Amino acid sequence: MQPLRFIKVFSLGAFLTIVTAFTPAPQPSAGMFKLHLPYAKAGLTRQQAAAHLLNRFSFGATPGELDAVVSMGLENWLQQQLQASLPDEELNTRLLNGYDALAMSNAQIVNTYVRPDQALQIGVAKGLIRRDSIRVAANTAEYRMMIRNLMDSANLKPVNELHRQLINQKVLRAAYSNNQLQEVLTDFWFNHFNVSLTKNQSQQYVLTYERDAIRPNVLGHFSSLLEATAKHPAMLEYLDNASSVSNDNNVANPRLKAQLQKRLEKRADQLMEEGNAAQQARLMKQIAGQKKNEGLNENYAREIMELHTMGVDGGYTQKDVTEVARVLTGWTLYPNSEYGAGSAQRKILERVGLNTLQQRGFVVQGDFLYRADKHDQGEKNILGHVFPAGGGYEEGMRVIELLSTHPATAAFICKKLATRFVSDTPSVDLVKKMTAVFLKSKGDIKQVLIAMVEQVDFWKPALVHDKVKSPFELVISAIRSTHADVQDPFQVFNWCARMGQRFYYYQAPTGFPDNAAFWINTGSLLNRMNFGLAFATQKIPGIRMNWAQLNNNHEPESVEQALTVFSDILLPERNQEQNIKRLLPLVKDVRIGAKIAAAADNAPLQMKEETGMTEDRPMKKQERKALAKNTKQPLQMPYTAGVNSPIAQVAGIIIGSPEFQRK
Amino acid sequence: MTNRRAFMKSGAMALFATGLGGGLPAFVARAAQSQKYIQPYKKGKVLVCIFQRGAMDGLMAVSPYTDPAFKAARPGLYMSPAATEGKLFDLDGRFGLHPALDGLYPYFSEKRMAIVHGVGSPNNTRSHFDAQDYMESGTPFSKSTSSGWLNRAIGLMGHDATPFRAVSMTNALPRSFYGQEESLAISNLQDFAIQMRGNPMAAGLAAKSFEELYDQTSSSILNRTGKESFEAIKMLNLNSIRNYKAADGVVYPASPLGNALKQIAILVKMNVGLELAFAESGGWDTHFNQGTANGAFARNLKDFGDSIAAFWKDLGTYQDDVTLMTMTEFGRTVKQNGTGGTDHGRGSCLFVLGNDVQGGAVYNKVSSLTKEELEDGRDLPVTTDFRSVFSSVAGTHLMINNNRELFPGWDGTPLPLMKV
Repeated sequence: MQPLRFIKVFSLGAFLTIVTAFTPAPQPSAGMFKLHLPYAKAGLTRQQAAAHLLNRFSFGATPGELDAVVSMGLENWLQQQLQASLPDEELNTRLLNGYDALAMSNAQIVNTYVRPDQALQIGVAKGLIRRDSIRVAANTAEYRMMIRNLMDSANLKPVNELHRQLINQKVLRAAYSNNQLQEVLTDFWFNHFNVSLTKNQSQQYVLTYERDAIRPNVLGHFSSLLEATAKHPAMLEYLDNASSVSNDNNVANPRLKAQLQKRLEKRADQLMEEGNAAQQARLMKQIAGQKKNEGLNENYAREIMELHTMGVDGGYTQKDVTEVARVLTGWTLYPNSEYGAGSAQRKILERVGLNTLQQRGFVVQGDFLYRADKHDQGEKNILGHVFPAGGGYEEGMRVIELLSTHPATAAFICKKLATRFVSDTPSVDLVKKMTAVFLKSKGDIKQVLIAMVEQVDFWKPALVHDKVKSPFELVISAIRSTHADVQDPFQVFNWCARMGQRFYYYQAPTGFPDNAAFWINTGSLLNRMNFGLAFATQKIPGIRMNWAQLNNNHEPESVEQALTVFSDILLPERNQEQNIKRLLPLVKDVRIGAKIAAAADNAPLQMKEETGMTEDRPMKKQERKALAKNTKQPLQMPYTAGVNSPIAQVAGIIIGSPEFQRK
Repeated sequence: MTNRRAFMKSGAMALFATGLGGGLPAFVARAAQSQKYIQPYKKGKVLVCIFQRGAMDGLMAVSPYTDPAFKAARPGLYMSPAATEGKLFDLDGRFGLHPALDGLYPYFSEKRMAIVHGVGSPNNTRSHFDAQDYMESGTPFSKSTSSGWLNRAIGLMGHDATPFRAVSMTNALPRSFYGQEESLAISNLQDFAIQMRGNPMAAGLAAKSFEELYDQTSSSILNRTGKESFEAIKMLNLNSIRNYKAADGVVYPASPLGNALKQIAILVKMNVGLELAFAESGGWDTHFNQGTANGAFARNLKDFGDSIAAFWKDLGTYQDDVTLMTMTEFGRTVKQNGTGGTDHGRGSCLFVLGNDVQGGAVYNKVSSLTKEELEDGRDLPVTTDFRSVFSSVAGTHLMINNNRELFPGWDGTPLPLMKV
């Protein structure tokens, strides 16, 4: 939808591979705020405060980053992060190169990355395959083969490839973007306004949802986020508002309605003949729905109040939910498929023309479409506000404004932010102060975050390291702290899934819960330890780090010294003395084990289980092969001659240790 | 393999603890302190749920073969007990069981398996996603229910237990298990260990290190869960899993479902405190070339039936403790479509197997399948709410009797298909 803006972002500045070469401290400029961070008052040193800030406002410190933040000033670093305009050229031009979907519009994506049933439909429409030819397919394998050939000849790509790009870009941005806070907040707000790849109807829109509705708004006003998510096809489909209509509408001409009904039925018959069963079923449902006066769908109306704004105890009633649903009738997506049921609708809209549509009260904004002919024109009453009869699109905008500035929303959102950034159980006082700023600034997220860090409560030593990392935060912090080179970002997804976070696939609109009890259970904890070992001993294909380089290519003189060095790198500003005391006997154990380990180095890496653990594994066979070949090459590491070296094992134990699970 | 029952007989809980290498397991200690204390090693009942994702054609699995309207609607898919038409197992003179379910037929005859037909959700969505979501959350009109019905069931059982109380044999936690109560998603029990590929010695050393580190941490949740994890590893006894031999004459199909059920049988027999198990079966979205006695549907159904039959036989004397229930999000169109398959419909059927099931019957309110009787003129109407079956099974077998909390917003009555 907005490829132009996107390209513009891509062309900015230069990426920094080594973070010690940090950009100079910015001069305070217009749009920046004077910050007062009361960490000293809370009893933290500047070093400790910087470490805490990096733990909570980034996906983890890279080597040297802590010192850089201390020397440039915590306030200045935070200013930069709140501006979110640091150059990211390396990321955008090199790392994300080849991710073509990132620059595509919804329409381009929908007509390129398709599900098997859509491929079939397009194939028939383009005359590439005979309507009855799928009857020939003897079994599932043959069917898949036919679909694959069809996709090749029609220049289509499987939707799984789209998901791979979505997943990989998240990993790469989190690991390598200089605008860390923006990525942390993108993760936060996506989860708050969750949509899911598990739903067929919305899966093709999730990538642009994060790109267009979430990321550009994470540091803006809350109302912008709410509006952008409300109008995006992903949300419209995920919570069914796209199909929520009023049947008491008088705008729609009954004759035209009957004509449309007829046309749809004809199309359904045609689809049946073509063998587009899934499409046909959907169309039948639509027709049945139109006939049975069952137009209103309250799913989105309920969640916008319960999950997105006021919270379940926000003081609204079921009546309010129904009234909001009535206000949002007609909020749908502009049909963007070149084929299938949507294309018929699109042709009708095009024939009528934008001007006529606007005269009839329709609204077209990018992929968002407001259909006046589906809107409930009656009077509504929401939270004590009257919406007189005869309203249209503007009613929805009024509801968004009403909800986004409501005191219940302010309290609900601020508590959620404090839960993410401070503690699973943030203090009432802190949330109150943030809430006041939310209301005063009309939901300015930047102001609310500043209010949070300007409270002593944010810096309380008891709360430092109180939060447990999500699996994604764990993996990305391991990558960042070791400067690992991620050649196959999808491996991160596999491991996160194993640890309980199949991101982008969380089915419920609630998003993942944000508390330690959810993430930590026996199965997930064992996998966290196993992740540490696999990561550090370089047994995750496509993720490589160089332990020696992390110590400036100096060989540690002893294993004890190595422990100090790597413990410092992985857990900066923790109680090192205690850590080392605890780990030292273990290191010595490992040292004895080193001989055994060296023997095992000669054993081939076992790839099978680690590469293909989920059912959708977008990596192709050839890619896997190439990767396997790549991995079997001897690893060039001066100190860590083998993947089972004591250093790697010690690092693995640190990454799997309880301290590294905390942020 | 440790046998919990033997300990119960001798009353030797301490013996069990010794088996773990000394010391009372943390979760035992926690349970002992808890107000809701029930001995965690009291022999518990196990409910096994299988979700058939993709919407199984209930009308083909269990066909109302005497209905002329049904026969007319499916010229290419119709089967009957007559040898010339597919040879269904005649269940009651009206319904016939698909021949691929030959493994399950004996249990129906022995009245240990019940079938419920025309079952589904009151929400008429025909989207896989929405219907599965509603069935697993147990609230067919609310998306925002954060918990799954099986997770609520865990809470309602009202006692603390081992880390293996609720296990899903899947990669990710299913929607049914979302919620506050701890549950485990694991696709392979052998992964439940500290692993260093190709280097078991180093793995052992690392495990020891981790155990010490988690023992010393100041974070209470990491400390407690760490302890439980290492106890659970010892409890599981990977060697027994690796060398597991199913009961004589039992062969599990080499399929995901067969493998999942085999691992559930291992957990049941290991007496590690399993009370709820979950497995999935895919491939039911048969829009094209469904086949009849042979073909895609029959192959899938054969795997489904044979996996369950193998599991049941393998359980042996444990059968008394276990009830197995299947579920699918909706059924399929009465009429066959243009590509030799069926499309998304409404009511389907499910199976309940167990010694406390009043089996040998097809529970149904299915009427004639003439067009006027169908939902939206095309689908088998839902005449039995899935919650009335789930609540009945959970109520009797797991002794959960708070259906208002198990299924918020539902005030129906359980279907009496269990022995009371």
